[in-house]
Amino acid sequence: MRGYTRRDVLKLGGVAAGAGLGFPAVLRAQQKEVVMLGLWSFTGAFSDVGPVLDRGMKLALDERGMKVQGKSIKYITRDDETKAGSATRRAEEAVDSDGAKFIIGPWSSGVALAVSEVAKRKKVFHYFSGGTEDIAGARCHRYSFQWAASPYTAAKTVVDTFMQANPKAKRWHLLVADYAFGWSVEKYVKEVGKGHGIEFVGADRHPLGEREFSNYVTKAAGNKPDVVVMINFGLDAVTGAREIFNFGLTPKLPLIMTWSSGVEELVQLAPEIRENLWVGSNFYYTADTPVAREFVKSYQTRFGGPPGYAPAAAYGMTRMTLAAMDKARSTEVADVVKACEGLEVDDLVGRMRVEPKTHQTLRPYFFMRCKKKDAMKGPMDFADIIATGSTPLPVEYAACKDIGSL
Amino acid sequence: MLYALMGIGLSIITGVLNIPNFAHGALFALGAYFLFTLIQLLGNFWLALLLAPLGVGLIGVLIEYGGIRPLYRAGHDYQLLLTFGLSLIVTEGIIVVWSPVGMSQLPPPLLRGGVDLGITFYPKYRLFVMVAAALLVLGAWLFLERTRYGAIMRAGIEDKEMVSLLGIDIHRLFTAAFALGAYLAGIAGALTAPIRGLSPGMGVDMLGIAFVVVALGGLGNLLGAIAAGLLIGVAQAVVAAYWTEASTVVIYAVMAAVLLVRPQGLFGIR
Repeated sequence: MRGYTRRDVLKLGGVAAGAGLGFPAVLRAQQKEVVMLGLWSFTGAFSDVGPVLDRGMKLALDERGMKVQGKSIKYITRDDETKAGSATRRAEEAVDSDGAKFIIGPWSSGVALAVSEVAKRKKVFHYFSGGTEDIAGARCHRYSFQWAASPYTAAKTVVDTFMQANPKAKRWHLLVADYAFGWSVEKYVKEVGKGHGIEFVGADRHPLGEREFSNYVTKAAGNKPDVVVMINFGLDAVTGAREIFNFGLTPKLPLIMTWSSGVEELVQLAPEIRENLWVGSNFYYTADTPVAREFVKSYQTRFGGPPGYAPAAAYGMTRMTLAAMDKARSTEVADVVKACEGLEVDDLVGRMRVEPKTHQTLRPYFFMRCKKKDAMKGPMDFADIIATGSTPLPVEYAACKDIGSL
Repeated sequence: MLYALMGIGLSIITGVLNIPNFAHGALFALGAYFLFTLIQLLGNFWLALLLAPLGVGLIGVLIEYGGIRPLYRAGHDYQLLLTFGLSLIVTEGIIVVWSPVGMSQLPPPLLRGGVDLGITFYPKYRLFVMVAAALLVLGAWLFLERTRYGAIMRAGIEDKEMVSLLGIDIHRLFTAAFALGAYLAGIAGALTAPIRGLSPGMGVDMLGIAFVVVALGGLGNLLGAIAAGLLIGVAQAVVAAYWTEASTVVIYAVMAAVLLVRPQGLFGIR
């Protein structure tokens, strides 16, 4: 047996200490593979969305054979628990111990704002899709990018199209989720509504995760609106729509879901509830682009149903990140950030361009009208896309004055 | 009223078996899902509403007989862990059997839409649920107060050893109590399905409220559970009418306020 010298022991000790601190793992990761973190909600208020987000990101990575710029991609996920505290802690851990340099997610706007701060501090690339305008607005910085349409683009598409179809429906009652996303979209719905002479007869805010909507609906009914408009998401939106139907408001009155996940929400509602339902979304699976057609086909083959906004966003954000790496011919964060700024591609929802000054992805937003039960060609044939809009946020509203430096 | 229904069921189990039943929310969800499937199979809402909670009651019997009973000797911690584990298993089971995506169950055609009550507009189905839940609460209360077995069950809550010494099969009492509690959770779930829809996590939302009701009413106190259920329901409705954002917080605010003044709960003696 070979004896160890004092020098050998010191070397081994050094390596062991280094491993304990996680350095070699990180260095190895930097050299050989690109570590991408999918930060999704597997528990908490958005736990139903986590698994489908994961599917979307995996599909985009699988398309590339888990490789980019000659390096293999290591995909890791963490559960953000739909909580800012857990999300930031786990994101930091993934950056420090697993060498993650690219964060996609999380799903909740409020949680994402906290993660965006981590990305800034740790200098890692971050792509997010959601309803808060702050990531590409008041709290913008060089490391975070926004995939979803600006809340202004969404509000403009929804309000303009709806008023064209229903010019007399001018009394609007709003039901708004009381967090970052709800506030942003509400602000612009009101702003755009002014131009159409809409009277907002009521605007109630409900907490995230609300399951008892009867009181809100009683108030809405009391205001005698021409239309009820919901600015909420996921189970909140589904529960709200169901209650509005139970009270007999719909289908007599139109109900607008301003910022919906599309398929994931619509499938939870009976066709009777969907009658006279108008839906705005960042994605709908009948979107007519080559990338969307291919994505929908492979998603349906693998998972047996059409994708909604969530898997589409995860897929789209991952594709944009990989496209930025290709453009940069590098997987170093600083290079990829610079390449992503101004990146222009024909991708999932059509022409997409990342505005370098704000990091907002400029892209179309969809507005659908749900079909009546007898007009549906299949159980998943929920709606027709009646408009797409891509009016960007006017400069006077832009809150991102200086995106800062790397 | 639904809160009261959940509260009584949980209170019976907590009182008689002396364990906080963490699976109560899962049983609530099962009631809703059984209703959904039975409607698909039988095409009749009313028959499904009758059978679904009985199915949950049967599951309750199996849980007590097969799971909790062997653990009586092991102590409370293990029973508590068991009910907690069961809640996770049932929730995951629902995902496996019925899919993770939520579903809607419409009320029967007779009860769709709303009625104008003069002061407010209210859905017919909710009025039906109010009446049905009130009758069930009354029925449960009469059973516990006016029947012999109900008296035994109350005695079991007060003093298990004495009941056992008097020659009553305490194990059968435990099974009956768990089955009754499960039945009440099941029927609350089935009644709720057309209002709130179905989702695997629906029990979790309700479990928290059920525990608040039990704590507020006084642990194991049935009248307390009814009063607390009503109090929370009314408080929530009143607050929501004037300050909608606070309608969830008020549940816990009421609990905190009552427990500060009466730590043993409204009607509690322990």
